[in-house]
Amino acid sequence: MSTLTIDAIRKSYGAVETLKGIDIALESGEFLVLLGASGCGKSTLLNIIAGLAEPTSGDIRIDDRSIVGVHPKDRDIAMVFQSYALYPNLTVHRNIGFGLEMRKVDRAERDRAVRETAKLLQIENLLERKPGQLSGGQRQRVAIGRALVRNPKIFLFDEPLSNLDAKLRMEMRTELKRLHQMTRTTVVYVTHDQIEAMTLATRIAVMRGGRIEQLDTPENIYNRPATLYVATFVGAPPMNLLAATAGEGGLRIDGTDIIVPVPDLDGIAPGRRLVLGIRPEAIERSGAGVPLTARCEVAELTGPELVVTAAMGSQRLVAALPATTRIAAGDEIALAVAPAAFHVFDAETEQRLN
Amino acid sequence: MSSTWMTTRAWLLMLPLLVIMLAVIGWPMVDTVRLSFTDAKLIGSGGAFVGFDNYLKMLSNNNFQRALYATTWFAVVSVTAEMVIGVLAALLLNQRFYGRTVLRALLILPWALPTVVNATLWRLIYNPEYGALNAALTQVGLLDSYRSWLGEPGTAMTALIIADCWKNFPLVALIALAALQAVPRDITSASLVDGAGPFARFRFVILPYLAGPLMVALVLRTIEAFKVFDIIWVMTRGGPANSTRTLSILVYQEAFSFQRAGSGASLALVVTLIVTVLAIGYGMLVRRTAGSAA
Repeated sequence: MSTLTIDAIRKSYGAVETLKGIDIALESGEFLVLLGASGCGKSTLLNIIAGLAEPTSGDIRIDDRSIVGVHPKDRDIAMVFQSYALYPNLTVHRNIGFGLEMRKVDRAERDRAVRETAKLLQIENLLERKPGQLSGGQRQRVAIGRALVRNPKIFLFDEPLSNLDAKLRMEMRTELKRLHQMTRTTVVYVTHDQIEAMTLATRIAVMRGGRIEQLDTPENIYNRPATLYVATFVGAPPMNLLAATAGEGGLRIDGTDIIVPVPDLDGIAPGRRLVLGIRPEAIERSGAGVPLTARCEVAELTGPELVVTAAMGSQRLVAALPATTRIAAGDEIALAVAPAAFHVFDAETEQRLN
Repeated sequence: MSSTWMTTRAWLLMLPLLVIMLAVIGWPMVDTVRLSFTDAKLIGSGGAFVGFDNYLKMLSNNNFQRALYATTWFAVVSVTAEMVIGVLAALLLNQRFYGRTVLRALLILPWALPTVVNATLWRLIYNPEYGALNAALTQVGLLDSYRSWLGEPGTAMTALIIADCWKNFPLVALIALAALQAVPRDITSASLVDGAGPFARFRFVILPYLAGPLMVALVLRTIEAFKVFDIIWVMTRGGPANSTRTLSILVYQEAFSFQRAGSGASLALVVTLIVTVLAIGYGMLVRRTAGSAA
């Protein structure tokens, strides 16, 4: 049970600044996901927490003890790597117990801890094997076991599921969630997969260009994205972004005659360039919302839903409709969106306005 | 296309090479076997069949035993030293520091020198009158008067081994350095978080990736060391008092200096046999190491 405080962390490699001031305060037992595209600085931040890299400036505290400059082994953290990073010539038993072995924990105690962890991860039957004889999923379980067995204050995960195939990734995701619910250890988890972030996190930090775009709960990241970047990064198919202009009584979608009344949008000067965001799954076939009409260009049945790409004036709109909907290319379709489902961003600053 | 035609074609394409190999390696080998059972001289008649006389004489002969001992000593000491120095140099050159690229390029230099040049160079260093080693040792006070390093039976072999190491450790270092680059960063990081010190890290993280390539280096170097001829011939010609006379030197002296082609051939065959056994044994070891690392 430990808190983690990240305080104004900066990191430069020569003239290139990869982290431009990161502040995060985690409560004990939180599951923080650092989400972003490659090169956004999320892995650098994780390495700095682990002690594999030192920050240029700033402070990191676990339970109010600063760990900057402390050797990785003395930080009371454990880390799981994307490539599993198992010791190739040691058995699974010794791989899991390696950290304890290095800390001179006696053999009987070590054996007990390893077996307990293996049982938790359902890999008891693999203990005498070498990593080379394991499948990807089994290796990742061993890697997680190696972190788990030490009972650290903070768990660090560096894209742990990226090397697994889709089915296994889902299983392990659920497994990780189960483990976290059981151990209640504070976790920092790096990924570029928005589904992993949404399902696992208690809070998500969306990172971009060495900064945090938004640090919030998964619900708020999805329902109230703070910037255009966050809005497009989370959600599949991605949020529709329509060019619009502020006017009397709402905003007008450019290239159409559609006026959208948006609440909480007072004080925005008419004529201001805006971006109107609509999630494909917020679009309905009919209903009490704001009516939109569009012409279907392509209709793709994915199984659970029908994804319709439609032209609306000069702009394009993607809608995720129920699979039972019957629409063919060329059809004029009437759509509706609830007023609360509109996201309005400034076209210049890319910040949320409503 | 039928598989018989494929096989025929493969053999046809290899035929020129096979003919040349048989002519320059196969036939001399067979002839050496024949010679080894005769008392043929280098010049003159073919010699008479003497059965296993040459082999029996060789095995009971003090010269052969001393040469076998000198060869083994040379091979074991120089190869061990080359492996240790090579790995240490590779570990060092794998660190990040200013000027690393230049040092890495320089590393290859001794190995790139022809053996004869290297041997001549070390003869100069060991020279009893104006050699750099004598000068350096007397100037720091470790030595009272100049010594003839290659001229004394007690020091000649060690001096040779040092010269050979200097030339050949870069090969080991190069192979080890290449292997070190293949050690995954994540595993190194994991070992840091797990609390492994430098020795544990070497043992459990680096060595598994080093073992296979080092095995290959070991095989190459041992076989070469067992066949050693040129560096010794240039530096000591097997002397002083035959203290550096290895098997290959003995073969040369027997066959060409003393012109006894028959017994020279028998000696040569024994050396070939030893090297072959070494090669096969090592080959099996390499396959085992490679299998366990995967």
